[in-house]
Amino acid sequence: MHSAAQEEGCHIFNDFGCGFQAPTTELFFPAPWVEFGLPGTSGITKYLLVLIVATLVSMAFWYFTTRNPKVVPTRAQSVAELFVAFVRDQITRNTMGKAGDKYIPLMVTLFIFIFTMNVMGLIPGLQLPVTSNLAFPAVLALFIYLLWNAVGIRRHGVGAHFKARMVPAGVPGYLLPVVVPIEAISNFVIRPFTHAVRLFAVMFAGHLLLAVFAAAGFYMFNPMSPMGPVLGGVSVLYSGIALFGFLVFTVFELFIMAVQAYVFVLLASVYIGEAMEGAH
Amino acid sequence: MILAQGHEEPNILRIHWDEFTFGTIAFVLFAVVVYRMWPRLMAALDERANQIEGGIERAQKAEAEAEEIRQQYREKLEEAHREYARELEKAKEQRAAIIAEAREEAQAEAQRILDAAHAQIEADRQHAFAQLRGEIGALSTDLAARIVGETLSDTAAQNRVIDRFLDELERSGTASQAEVR
Repeated sequence: MHSAAQEEGCHIFNDFGCGFQAPTTELFFPAPWVEFGLPGTSGITKYLLVLIVATLVSMAFWYFTTRNPKVVPTRAQSVAELFVAFVRDQITRNTMGKAGDKYIPLMVTLFIFIFTMNVMGLIPGLQLPVTSNLAFPAVLALFIYLLWNAVGIRRHGVGAHFKARMVPAGVPGYLLPVVVPIEAISNFVIRPFTHAVRLFAVMFAGHLLLAVFAAAGFYMFNPMSPMGPVLGGVSVLYSGIALFGFLVFTVFELFIMAVQAYVFVLLASVYIGEAMEGAH
Repeated sequence: MILAQGHEEPNILRIHWDEFTFGTIAFVLFAVVVYRMWPRLMAALDERANQIEGGIERAQKAEAEAEEIRQQYREKLEEAHREYARELEKAKEQRAAIIAEAREEAQAEAQRILDAAHAQIEADRQHAFAQLRGEIGALSTDLAARIVGETLSDTAAQNRVIDRFLDELERSGTASQAEVR
């Protein structure tokens, strides 16, 4: 499956000394189909294809579930409402209160978009979570970062916003020279970075893990081993174990994908709620 | 082999600006869809909330109305019971009054009859007495004339004798008459 780096026909118990080669980060650097020839570009790669699919799926999902909303919901509409109710009751109301209701559509957008991009890692044929490329989480994290600043500045003014973010209440004056730089770096540099990297890293690692299981199962499957039928049978058993692990981790990964989408949106909501609130 | 094609270092934290741009476009496109569809979905949700609230309100109103009617019926029933009791009481009183009246009338009637009988008896007695007095007078004089042998021809004297006699008789008779009464 994810065995681009593997030689064809390299299986366990072979007689030409071919060892297992685990999938590498090469997975996340698909060869470009079209190169732009500009510095800092990747060209058109599988990521763009999967991104387009994910975007179309998200848009189609939302369009077809809510295009004709009724008081008595259809099945599809109920699904869309489930997302709205989940985001409202579990995320925005908890972090921003009623004032955060105007951010519900944004948070629903983020949640569905991120979840769809994540799930692309499990769709046969695509099998590449868009969010395993840092560029895409970075778009969303940067957007939230800008919105966070914009909300804080519009509500409280430039000075009050930056002061609230850099000078924590209740810190004695003599500690401020230490605390202010820490807070500034933490809130204005590290936090947006971790916001993006958290999502990216989890999807990256999860995808790599699944790839290892898939590659191992492929590698260990050698019933026609030249070393005899017994080892051939053993190889099938190994392969079965790897397949089982792959399936279990696939289910687990699906859960992680939903959780990461939730965590990203929750943090976005917390940040914006914080900006709305001003100084603590 | 891994880095063989490497026209660049596979830094997993790289951000290609073209991918960043595509990601932005994709995000904006999807956000546009969600934001465009949003008001209609919210309108449906609000309408549902309204209808549910309206339904609850209507149910509460109906309940209150039912309670009021029940109260009215209960009051009417109680009123009917009281009315019945009053009527019964009145009927009892009337019965007692009728009985008392009838009894009184009967007594009065009896008294009247008794009185009439007494008057009749008295009258009869008077009559008999008067008649008796005449007869007794005649008999007495007749008897006396036979005993004395002479006729009391003198009417005046005759009457004096008779009256005296009768007065005596009456005096003794009053006592005996009182006993009878």
